[in-house]
Amino acid sequence: MATFLIGYTIIALIVLFVLFVILVSRRIIFKNNAKIQSIFAHPLLIYSLKRIGSALISVMLAITATYLLLRLKSRTTICQGYIENWQKLPVDVREVRCDSVLKDLGLYGNSFGEILGQIINYFYKILPFPKTICTQETGTDIIYDAFNNAISYVRVYDCRTFIIDLGISYKASGTDSRYVIDIIFGERMMHSFRIGILAVVIELAIGYPLGVLMAKHKDGIIDKIGKTYIISIDAIPGVAYYYIWQLLLVYIIGLENRYDASNFASWLAPALTMGLTGMAGIALWVRRFMLDEFNSDYVKFARAKGISENRIMYTHVLRNAIVPLIRSIPASILGALLGSFYIEKIYGVPGLGEYLIWANDYNDMYALQGIVVVSAFISILAYLAGDIVTAMVDPRVSLASE
Amino acid sequence: MEKKKVLEIKNLSVGFLSHGKKMNVIRDITLDVFEGETLAIVGESGSGKSVFTKTFTGMLDSNGYISNGSIMFDGVDLATLKKTKEWLGIRGKRIATIFQDPMTSLNPLFSIGYQISEVLRLHHNLSKEEAKKEAINLLKKVRIPDAEKRYNDYPFQYSGGMRQRVVIAIALACRPEILICDEPTTALDVTVQAQILDLIKELQKEYKWTTIFITHDLGVVANVADRVAVMYGGQIIEYGTVEDIFYRSAHPYTWALLASLPQLGSKEDPLSYISGNPPTFTSEIIGDAFAVRNKYAMRIDFLVEPPMFKISETHSAKTWLLDPRAPKVEKPTIIKNLSKRIKEVSSELKKEIEIGGEKHE
Repeated sequence: MATFLIGYTIIALIVLFVLFVILVSRRIIFKNNAKIQSIFAHPLLIYSLKRIGSALISVMLAITATYLLLRLKSRTTICQGYIENWQKLPVDVREVRCDSVLKDLGLYGNSFGEILGQIINYFYKILPFPKTICTQETGTDIIYDAFNNAISYVRVYDCRTFIIDLGISYKASGTDSRYVIDIIFGERMMHSFRIGILAVVIELAIGYPLGVLMAKHKDGIIDKIGKTYIISIDAIPGVAYYYIWQLLLVYIIGLENRYDASNFASWLAPALTMGLTGMAGIALWVRRFMLDEFNSDYVKFARAKGISENRIMYTHVLRNAIVPLIRSIPASILGALLGSFYIEKIYGVPGLGEYLIWANDYNDMYALQGIVVVSAFISILAYLAGDIVTAMVDPRVSLASE
Repeated sequence: MEKKKVLEIKNLSVGFLSHGKKMNVIRDITLDVFEGETLAIVGESGSGKSVFTKTFTGMLDSNGYISNGSIMFDGVDLATLKKTKEWLGIRGKRIATIFQDPMTSLNPLFSIGYQISEVLRLHHNLSKEEAKKEAINLLKKVRIPDAEKRYNDYPFQYSGGMRQRVVIAIALACRPEILICDEPTTALDVTVQAQILDLIKELQKEYKWTTIFITHDLGVVANVADRVAVMYGGQIIEYGTVEDIFYRSAHPYTWALLASLPQLGSKEDPLSYISGNPPTFTSEIIGDAFAVRNKYAMRIDFLVEPPMFKISETHSAKTWLLDPRAPKVEKPTIIKNLSKRIKEVSSELKKEIEIGGEKHE
């Protein structure tokens, strides 16, 4: 009950806030209050809300499209996964149970009206306000009359409150609540994020300085080694060098091969594999933008001003070179939540990337749909954050609409 | 002439290495620059004027090098300075440069104020507050309105003329002894050009620096310069006072250059131009570099490089035509009437600028 209350309060506050911002920015209320105007009609805030608003429309379209595509799967394909011992059941029993499973999942019916209803229902479920999800039967309650005669049976479920209901997965074996996709995602994203964020740190910590050094000593030894590395990473397909990295990191250097959530040392191999690969692209672009900036007039003028080469390099050039790159940093941080299929497979990380492939193999409709929803929201946030960061670094970029 | 020399360039040659080939882009230049004067270096594109002045601040491109000669500046031979460290007290501080394109000369990501005070803090060791105060003063000096407010603005919020003013303010910040202006008005429109030139002249009076003006616009030269050096093919082929060059020029190239001023032509005559291309430096130049394009060329011009003939105390030219054995040649008619024509044109131009200026305000 308490969760419900808190949840609804938060939703109400958000709605009120958005409404307030709209009213203030349209100068309907607080027309003459400069302080309130400057806070609530701030270009950054308005821009963010607008961006989120318009992105929501494309997300809705994307969700509808994937929903329709996934619904193309036959009822047998869907039911197979949810019903144990499907192969052994007699055909009529299968049909009856399949119907009840589909009804349970909200997938029953194939007419236009019914499917439209299902999509609307799905949107309702992913709307962020508290709702109860009941998963597995935990037992049966028998209701007795006054004379201790059993009058009815009530199935008892394990119920919990969630803000967003991504539906129920069927195969993620285990007990009770693991069937709820919200929980599965939560756990798997934790694993993916650990590896991913470590990889991003490695990527940035090595990629940026390497790019700078390569630009600074163009055609020098560092530049040549770096270029060779970047070209090999670009030229070899990902699957191949992931295994090369594994060979190197695990069998030669001796890092842990199997991921173990409780052992930090075992996170290193997957994170390094991911980071050392991603770093090549970063170094390439940093180098390129630095060299571009080197030839610009303001660098020549800065030199004519008598500023030292190092200062030109690290204050003037680097800042300009970073502007086009900084936009993608929030995306790579948030993208870490989604994980990488190959790397999670190779090192046995129970992450989201691995789950995506699994869900696809087993036709787990809601799991797939859930991944689409989550990645869509992540990319909205990532690009919004990217824009804001760019606007903070580059004074020429203004978020205010004219 | 009892003027003090600030720069003494002797037999300066600059080479470039390009694709394994050596090119002599500056060939044996000897020139003195006097204190407080405005020297204009004129020449068409590719004549080496920018490269020549870049040697004064050690800003040659990485494949360029000084192959011979010396540049004496206050007892230091600038031609021998190699490392950036050795340049620190000179470049920017004592010899400042203004470039052609104000739109790109300023770093787009730093505020105007930061870019000015950066120099002040570097060269004069001022604190942050002092630097800000001084920077605002400088902005006022170059007539940026609302200097205090505009201190925190970014270059993209300034117009081209305003940016060039800021660039001048940055050059001013160092209180240089020599200011090199590398075509500072080429990228600006005519009315703004005049304002910027006036500003430079005025500030020069106040700060008493020496200006070296690189330009291919003879109109600008007539407006600002005390002395003119005409460059062609990596050499100075004629130098003298403005009057020497405009009214008593002796080199056929200078004649051709003056004759091709579009402002001087009358409406009926076709524009005159110099046919052919400037030398490319890939092969050795024998004789007079201008000979192939010169309609007054004699056989000796193709064989032997002419020496510098002294015409008067201030005026010299590098052409065989001045040799006593050479036949007397007639100057082109346009140039003969030059002084009259210039007076007409400049009075017209002044009117135009005044009208334009009023419109601007």
